[in-house]
Amino acid sequence: MDYSKNEMMAIATGREFSDGELAIFGVGLSMLAGFFAQRNHAPNMIAFTEGGVYGSTPVGGLPWGIEDNRISANATSFTNAIDALGMLVASGRVDNAVIGAAQIDKFGNVNTTGIWTEGTQPWKVGKYTLPKVRLNGSGGANEIAVGAKKYLIMAQHEKKRFADKVDYISSPGYLNGGEDRKKYGFPGGGPSAIVTNLGILRPDPVTKEFILDAYFAFSSVEEIIENTGWDLKVSPNVKMVPEPTEKELENLRAVDETGSLRKK
Amino acid sequence: MKNKLITMQEAVAQYTWDGMTFGHGGALPVGSDCIAFFREMVRQGVKNVNLISNCNTQGSNLLAAAGGVARIEVGFSGLEVYGFANGLKRAVESGKTILEDYSNGGIPNRLFAGAMGWPFIPTFVSWGSDQQWCSADEPDAYPNTEKIPEIKDPFTGVSMGAMKAINPDVACIHVTMADIYGNSIMLGTEWSRFELSRAAKKVVIQADYIVDTDCMRQFPNLVRIPDLVVDAVVYWPMGVWPACSTGVYDSDEEHMFYMNKMLKTEEGTVEYIDKYVKSYSTPEEFLNVIGKEKVDQLSKSATNFLVDPYRKWIKSDAEIKELMGGR
Repeated sequence: MDYSKNEMMAIATGREFSDGELAIFGVGLSMLAGFFAQRNHAPNMIAFTEGGVYGSTPVGGLPWGIEDNRISANATSFTNAIDALGMLVASGRVDNAVIGAAQIDKFGNVNTTGIWTEGTQPWKVGKYTLPKVRLNGSGGANEIAVGAKKYLIMAQHEKKRFADKVDYISSPGYLNGGEDRKKYGFPGGGPSAIVTNLGILRPDPVTKEFILDAYFAFSSVEEIIENTGWDLKVSPNVKMVPEPTEKELENLRAVDETGSLRKK
Repeated sequence: MKNKLITMQEAVAQYTWDGMTFGHGGALPVGSDCIAFFREMVRQGVKNVNLISNCNTQGSNLLAAAGGVARIEVGFSGLEVYGFANGLKRAVESGKTILEDYSNGGIPNRLFAGAMGWPFIPTFVSWGSDQQWCSADEPDAYPNTEKIPEIKDPFTGVSMGAMKAINPDVACIHVTMADIYGNSIMLGTEWSRFELSRAAKKVVIQADYIVDTDCMRQFPNLVRIPDLVVDAVVYWPMGVWPACSTGVYDSDEEHMFYMNKMLKTEEGTVEYIDKYVKSYSTPEEFLNVIGKEKVDQLSKSATNFLVDPYRKWIKSDAEIKELMGGR
């Protein structure tokens, strides 16, 4: 079957959603994965935006932003951020979510804020200097990381992105691992999986270190280890993720009207 | 009750100054922010502005590119699917603008605290991450303990963070429709405009439509910004362009990319300002700068039906001119 790596990633992410869940997605890829799940196997999943656009689905193509008109054309309620991002997300009511990552570490901490020259990271030098490259900041991903019962992280699998320790924690995963999240009293449970264009990583139940759980038909354990910046452990039950079915691809492509996932 | 309609030039001249703290922001980077007000701030050369931004928009991107932003406290500094905000990114990377990171919900919560008259608001958000440990104001203190200090829940003893309240000197809030007194209806998500309208010391409304007050009497539940918190009202069609205003126009994809490309360099910014900031003074001239064909195209939005219940109260340009004493 003919499908792109990004389509496989979106479908693998979408499979992590169950019918009836209360969900929130980021913009772009993660939104496609979420609405794919709703169309494909989770018709009673309820999704809303950070700003409280409820009951809607995208119209006219992939929204340019979380609160674009393309997501506001068939809503049943409009509220605000303190309501949606605060009372429903940060408070701990959301069941499942997707966030993106520019850089990610073995405990699922996400950096979307900046990239520092090696050796100048704030945690290394005890000083917050300007990053070499300023990224976009956390947006609402910090609320999701803190509050969602569980959430997924989507990222392109490259060695420089999969770091032993991220330069900056924009959105906390399991911090230093183990029970470290408990110190901060977060209402949410932490990331349940990292889904990439090469495979799926899941946290060890005790240490919370992410280990390789599954690869795709077009990738391999070796390729994933090579593209990971930490010493990636492999689950004894590592397996291949089933390829997309025809129905899944059809539903994904119906959501991805403009073909953004087909592009290389 | 006083008629608060003034021109955009008057609004910026009266309600902005160098070194002010300015609150803004609507539906994240792509919608409902007071972009036209920012254009006029750039035209009038307002400098050293401290921005309070739930998110960056093309407004803050432009003002930062023009060198007008001393400091920004922000939840998201990009343009979503349109990419990095090149003007703001350039200003931050060069050290011209100090950027203090929060999350998207952090700024609304801090505005809420400001609106309530509280000195701070407790939070789990931004807590236990580098948003807490890194402060651009005190770069030498890492991990920082002053930006989001630890507090204890007096009932359970649980540790939390405390985020400082914000009361901006002035906010400019884009709304879909307002009457001449400032009663305002926002279509689409409000994002943080409700609490911003209460937290700011002065509020200027930028409206796509001016409507009769009878409209507010028909839909009082929807008037989330009442006249009493509003100081001035500016009528400015396409005021969010090139981003979108729910019910009225969609985002201008071509210009979003073009504008951001121009703001990437100093020369590009100068050229952009010449073409799209200094080239008009009235709303009519502004629409001509965008181009009639483009305005018509963007005004055909799948969200247009949302405006239908209000149409009979919308004032014509001639009526608005009369209300403004011919200005």
